[in-house]
Amino acid sequence: MRVLPPLEENRWREVLLEAADEGLLILGESAREAIYFHLQKTCSLAREDIPNQPDIFALGLEKIFGRGAKVVEESIVKSLYSKLGIRYKGMENARFTDYLNDAREHKTKRLNEYEESVALR
Amino acid sequence: MLNMYKIGLVLAVGLTVIYVFQGFYPEFMSYFSNAVPPFIAGAAVISSGFALRKYGRNLRQQFSLVWLCFTLGMALWFLGETGWAIYTLLLGVEIPYPSIADVFWLSGYVPFFIALYLYVKTFESALSRRTLGITMVAVSILSVLVSAALITPIVGAEEDSVTMLVDFAYPLLDLVLFSVAVLGLAVFLKGNLGKSWLLINAGILSNVSADMLFSYTTAQDMYYSGHLLELLFHWGYIFFLLAFYVHTKEL
Repeated sequence: MRVLPPLEENRWREVLLEAADEGLLILGESAREAIYFHLQKTCSLAREDIPNQPDIFALGLEKIFGRGAKVVEESIVKSLYSKLGIRYKGMENARFTDYLNDAREHKTKRLNEYEESVALR
Repeated sequence: MLNMYKIGLVLAVGLTVIYVFQGFYPEFMSYFSNAVPPFIAGAAVISSGFALRKYGRNLRQQFSLVWLCFTLGMALWFLGETGWAIYTLLLGVEIPYPSIADVFWLSGYVPFFIALYLYVKTFESALSRRTLGITMVAVSILSVLVSAALITPIVGAEEDSVTMLVDFAYPLLDLVLFSVAVLGLAVFLKGNLGKSWLLINAGILSNVSADMLFSYTTAQDMYYSGHLLELLFHWGYIFFLLAFYVHTKEL
């Protein structure tokens, strides 16, 4: 994967955090706050750390919801894909981080295509 | 949280001791067995109310609705217990069966079912077809067994049709709740919320046994105030009380 320049990295963080906020709304605002609180308490993971430690985030969700974590993750991933303009397609046996990597690759590919098309013009 | 488990355990053991040794204080027992249920059910309503306060800030959201329904269900059961206590302790009359207390108890199943259903529905995609299949088969077998165990004593008692209907309604409605609650347990078992769902299931199973025994003993004219089967109802409320409390601690 191409190393993203700082601005893109910031944008990625921003989009991912917005997606997490939206995805966690599956249980309502109060529960979302409670989830962030428990992630901080049990995994020492603040909301802002999610883009850096998505695997810990996924683990924290599993710790709270068990098998139900998949549903919460899916809600976040769907929100992320929609924000990036990518069509969501479920992948078999894929983990949360696989989806994030997939979304990021898509985004990078699109950016490259855009840059190439601009250069050609 | 450990303290709350300890309180629940002490309460359950204390009640058991009081019921087991009731032969030494029969008069006190007839008063106690009618007076205590509203308090235990009330404690469960309060516990559910705390959860509603935590999660129910926006009642247009589904999860808030879940907790409103849990609280409403528990509140109706509390009114059922209170109605029963009013009949026996304040009015001092023989309780008709079914009575206004049964109206409250039976109505309580509706919001309780909605709460369980909405909660589990949110997470339904986490359930495999295999889990769904096994659960449905197990609950169907259990329903047949419960009905088979009750049909002879209830029909044989030659009660009127409404009484017979109510006799069957309680254990069967408990099983309806169980069929959803057990799916919730399957979803959350490996997570911290699994503790709360385990307690909800224990509460419902406790009620299944209690209602089955109650229907059987009333049909056979064997039920009396202070019967040991009442312990199962009390334990049920204690399980619910703990379940709601644990939920607010784990999420």
